[in-house]
Amino acid sequence: MRSYISHQIFQLAVVVFGISLLAFGILHVLGDPVLLLLPQNAGKEEFERYRRLLGLDQPIYVQYWKFVSRAVFGDFGKSWYADTPAFQLVIERMPPTIYLTLAGLLVALLISLPLGILAALKRHTWIDSVCTAVAVAGQAAPLFWLGIMLIIVFAVRLRMLPASGYGTWQHFLLPSLCLGAALAPITMRLVRSGVIEVMNMEFIKTARAKGVAEPMVVVKHAFRNACIPVITVLGLQFGQLLGGAIITETVFAWPGVATLTVESIRNQDFPVVQCAVILLALVIVVVNLVVDLLVAVIDPRIRTGA
Amino acid sequence: MGRVVASGSALLLAFALVAPADVWAQTKEDTVVYAIQSDMQNWDPPNSVLRESIIMGYHVFDHLAARDVKTGKVGPSLAVSWRNVDETTWEVKLRQNVKFHDGSRFAAGDVKATFDRVLNPENKLTARGNHTKIKSVEVVDDSTVRFKTDGPYPLFVERMTALVIQSEKAIKEKGHEWMQENPVGTGPYKLVKWNKKQDHLMVRNDDYWGPKPAFKHVRVRIIPEQATQIAELMSGGVDVIKAVPPDQMDVINKSGGARTSTSPILRTSFLQLDQAGRTGKNPFQDKRVRQAANLAVDMDGIIKHVLNGLGDRTATTINPMAFGYDLSIKPYKQDAAAAKKLLADAGYPGGFEVGFLTTAPIVEPALPQTSEAISADLAKVGIRTKKRYVGEVGPYVNLVRDGKADPMFEWSWGYYSIFDADAILYDVMRCGEPYSYYCNQAMDDLVIQGRSTLDQKKRAEIYTRAQRLAYDDAAYLFKWGLRGVWGISNRIEYEAPRDEIDRMFLVTPRKK
Repeated sequence: MRSYISHQIFQLAVVVFGISLLAFGILHVLGDPVLLLLPQNAGKEEFERYRRLLGLDQPIYVQYWKFVSRAVFGDFGKSWYADTPAFQLVIERMPPTIYLTLAGLLVALLISLPLGILAALKRHTWIDSVCTAVAVAGQAAPLFWLGIMLIIVFAVRLRMLPASGYGTWQHFLLPSLCLGAALAPITMRLVRSGVIEVMNMEFIKTARAKGVAEPMVVVKHAFRNACIPVITVLGLQFGQLLGGAIITETVFAWPGVATLTVESIRNQDFPVVQCAVILLALVIVVVNLVVDLLVAVIDPRIRTGA
Repeated sequence: MGRVVASGSALLLAFALVAPADVWAQTKEDTVVYAIQSDMQNWDPPNSVLRESIIMGYHVFDHLAARDVKTGKVGPSLAVSWRNVDETTWEVKLRQNVKFHDGSRFAAGDVKATFDRVLNPENKLTARGNHTKIKSVEVVDDSTVRFKTDGPYPLFVERMTALVIQSEKAIKEKGHEWMQENPVGTGPYKLVKWNKKQDHLMVRNDDYWGPKPAFKHVRVRIIPEQATQIAELMSGGVDVIKAVPPDQMDVINKSGGARTSTSPILRTSFLQLDQAGRTGKNPFQDKRVRQAANLAVDMDGIIKHVLNGLGDRTATTINPMAFGYDLSIKPYKQDAAAAKKLLADAGYPGGFEVGFLTTAPIVEPALPQTSEAISADLAKVGIRTKKRYVGEVGPYVNLVRDGKADPMFEWSWGYYSIFDADAILYDVMRCGEPYSYYCNQAMDDLVIQGRSTLDQKKRAEIYTRAQRLAYDDAAYLFKWGLRGVWGISNRIEYEAPRDEIDRMFLVTPRKK
């Protein structure tokens, strides 16, 4: 188990290094931020002065080294736009995004678990077909469109929920439904195939032969075993979920780190984008590590490499 | 199993049904809600270039002078009167019995402290560039200040509307950092709370010296997505939105809950033709070719049919709302035969092919469509355009600045919100300016004359000559002044502002 963990942590370090390179590199090919920082009628000397001030006149590798050695201590520099430390800006905006992602995950589970199990148990019936159809439709609908549709139906037509914003629990409903609906289909199909596979296993037959009641067979024996791939995929999908949060947050005016990132990209606010990308990537990497360890705990085959 | 499904769907149903009425508590009778696309960086207007900061600044602060939204004229605000003592001195009399939100009295010292702070290069405030013509500010007595300027400064009065007056006490005792989030103004509203990237809540200043706003609260919400803004407007979550796309006007007007209002804004758009030869030798260096281009295009038709009427035709680059605009100069009228003849005279009987740099409709609505229509008209007389597209504003402006645009390219100019011909002529029509592809010594002379006298009558004459020159010389391919579209909820009365500065203190409840 120890070597398994250290192996995972080594992988994590490699990934984080790669991300830091990417975060640093990508923005440098995007364009000149000084142009956006200065008014249209600024002179050439002023442009040069600003470039020096921001260290943009130094060689790229020097810029990168400075960037990494400070980033390790959470110092990503000040936002070029807001005059506040980038790290503080991003951290302030982290909670709404995490809440939204978790709420989305919850919604996805609430939809996918019952439907997946139901579809598996009623395989090849109309119930299964309906569930599969819903899953395919859900997977095909673009998040952006779904968000706008939810707003039009629940806020504009029915006037039941606020169209956008943040603050009360009602504000959570549409965004998390939107986000959850995007994740639910793949999870549902996985639960379905997992349960179908497990239901044909010997131990299920044994359980039934022992006279265990059918609901007990499904929940205790079948579902628990079907869970392993689901947990793995949820871990992998967490990144997807955060990606989806960018669109969801924009549509619902959610004050999270995703809208901050998009806005900072638009403003070419390098420090904030770099900080946000690295922190979000860290969250994903850590979640995946936790999932790997969790699965290893549940399934001994994985940690022993059998 | 059944239990899982049942409890799951029950939970969802509960979520859906229980949504109580207090969701709408935010739109209380005494609150007007205004939506903006992105938040500002700070509550220190001189330290920001964003329009949002200008707009919010109008609510919490006052300026020395203010523009009357109806007439467009600049009139008194914290200053009650002003006069020239000599060519380079302006004396300003200040309003008395005005209080800052922290209770302290407004006096001449506050004006001096505000300008001193902005003018000090060490403070690196972005507003400095607008006021560098001011050399110093002197306090004469409690209610009088004198501004010394570097040469005659005819734009002084206009520029008084562009700087908020902050409190000397805050500047000296609290300092820069503190002022970034704590505005102390004299304006009609006080800031109560700022949830960054989310909303600003303001409450009416009951000690305000001017007319009291009708609504007790203003809530400014940050909603990045345009479709969401429109949905909020129609569902009653927001009262005022701006920059409505022309194709959404119908949706809003038919919703029953809201309507649109349009207003000309202080921005002119045109196609720059490289008369100066910055992109290299090109046909537009010949005056006859530029005239032919202006005669080739049916701009009125494009405004009417492509732009849904959201433009006001201009004879030159000067916006109808800017000081110096001369109504008597009529725009070019389409005349394809004359255009062809001019081209033939210039040595292009078969026409020619030329590069055309275009961009995305970020500042100008429906830009791709109007560009297409203009290209089609030009092609009819033989000017065949080869389009190059750069969608991002930053790189686009960069290309233009560095002389790397094409002989013909899209351009529009917002005058830095200064309603004066000088604000476009100086930057966009003068030899050697980064954003000008026109170079004519006669024009340069007029521009310099225009900013060297305080006599407004004389200035108007100078700008008439400048417009006549730009028109006769067909300096650029002239298009139109832009119009903005606002969405307004049916529970309030409000009119689209021509300076693009929304003023929630002018909003009143709609009579039923």
